[in-house]
Amino acid sequence: MTLAGAAIVALAVLLVAALVFGGLIVGGRTVRRAREARRAKLAKPARQLLLAIAAGDDDPDQVEALVRLSDEVWQAVEPNAIALLGKVRGEAHTTLVDVFERRGAAWRARSRLRRRDPVARAQAAEVLGNLGRKDALLPLCDLLGDPDPDVRVVAARSLGRIGDSGATQPLLATLASRRMVPQQVVATALTRLGPAAQGALLASLDDPRAPIRATAAEVLGLIGAAGATVRVESALRADPSIDVRISAARTLGRLGTRTALAPLLDSLEPDRPVVLRAEAAKALGELGAVTAASALTVLLSDIEYVVAHNAARSLLRLGGAGRAALTAAEHRAELEPDDQRVLLGAAHAREALAAAELEDLRQLAR
Amino acid sequence: MTAILVADDDMDIRDLVAFKLEQAGYDVVAVDNGLAALTEATQNPPDLVVLDVMMPGMSGIDVCRQLRQDAGTKALPIILLTARAQEGDVEVGFGAGADDYIVKPFSPRELVSRVEAVLARMRT
Repeated sequence: MTLAGAAIVALAVLLVAALVFGGLIVGGRTVRRAREARRAKLAKPARQLLLAIAAGDDDPDQVEALVRLSDEVWQAVEPNAIALLGKVRGEAHTTLVDVFERRGAAWRARSRLRRRDPVARAQAAEVLGNLGRKDALLPLCDLLGDPDPDVRVVAARSLGRIGDSGATQPLLATLASRRMVPQQVVATALTRLGPAAQGALLASLDDPRAPIRATAAEVLGLIGAAGATVRVESALRADPSIDVRISAARTLGRLGTRTALAPLLDSLEPDRPVVLRAEAAKALGELGAVTAASALTVLLSDIEYVVAHNAARSLLRLGGAGRAALTAAEHRAELEPDDQRVLLGAAHAREALAAAELEDLRQLAR
Repeated sequence: MTAILVADDDMDIRDLVAFKLEQAGYDVVAVDNGLAALTEATQNPPDLVVLDVMMPGMSGIDVCRQLRQDAGTKALPIILLTARAQEGDVEVGFGAGADDYIVKPFSPRELVSRVEAVLARMRT
């Protein structure tokens, strides 16, 4: 074969390959669109029923009609049903759960938790969480170690929705695992477990792993565990991890108990890390203790911007006494115009008072 | 008939909110993004707006702020619907000028009650 002949054959092969490849893409899209159109057509009448039930209609005939849908139609409408199940609460949620249970969705979801497809595993975990199935606790805890990070996140959220305090330790353990779950997801899930998780959270403050102690300290504040104050105070004073101490300061502010005042004031000392001093200054505002006003006023002149800024905002949160301290700090600049520290404090005071005035004006203009 | 504009990029939630409000006797216009909500509210001001916070492009917070800056829509009652339940998020919502803040998962019946309450407050 000549060179020209070989080139023509090669071109022809390339052309055929391109045509086949293009055909496959177009064909694949057409099939997908046709499937989607068929799904939408099948789902349409059932979707109206689903919306009525999700809207809170507990008409037994409508519930029965949804329960008796053929498997083919249910499969078409199931993605919408799963989505709505997680977004409504009250009677609407209860009725939807009833429909899912009667259709055997929990049993099917459990059998899908071990599917090879991570999307199927995640959907199954989501359904079990939305149904609030306490008997799914163990398989969902196992799923916290799933190789797929998205599946782990869905499992953590579902454990939060189920609300069984038995999930506390497994959720915390993921923070130190090679297959970890983001801290915010874990904290949100733990918060949903509520006061029943308090014992396990308190015990976790002694865990050797800092991320676990820090998250436990944080969540104790989020669930309002006032009984944990003494232990959290000692974490603020003595924990070797700065992250744990910061979480402890934030939690003490949230819990709002008077005994927190002393350890928080102690955390303001100049030899403490800046991030801790800043968090403690903020927490004192949350705590709302007027007796902290003098310590916060001193911080207005702090060389660290974030410490002085948080102190000024906390003074605002203390109400009349705090505003009076800010006004006094602002006026002090007129008396001592050459003192740089006084000027610094006055500037922070002015900024906070201006922000407060702006907010007042916005409220009035509304 | 009292007109309500609903904006949510999640089709299921949008249809559910529209369904429930229509069932309660309101005239509902539903859109799937923030910009469309802003355009609709400016061109045909409704009696109340229900805005999802997390929408791609223009968020519900952005729409809320813009509506509050426009003389024609400044006084429109706005309810934010959101999955963000942290104290700070609620503060941002009210700071943007929202009249009420509903957290997902929500009760559709409660949504109607909140709508009625906000409308009643506006009338007095």
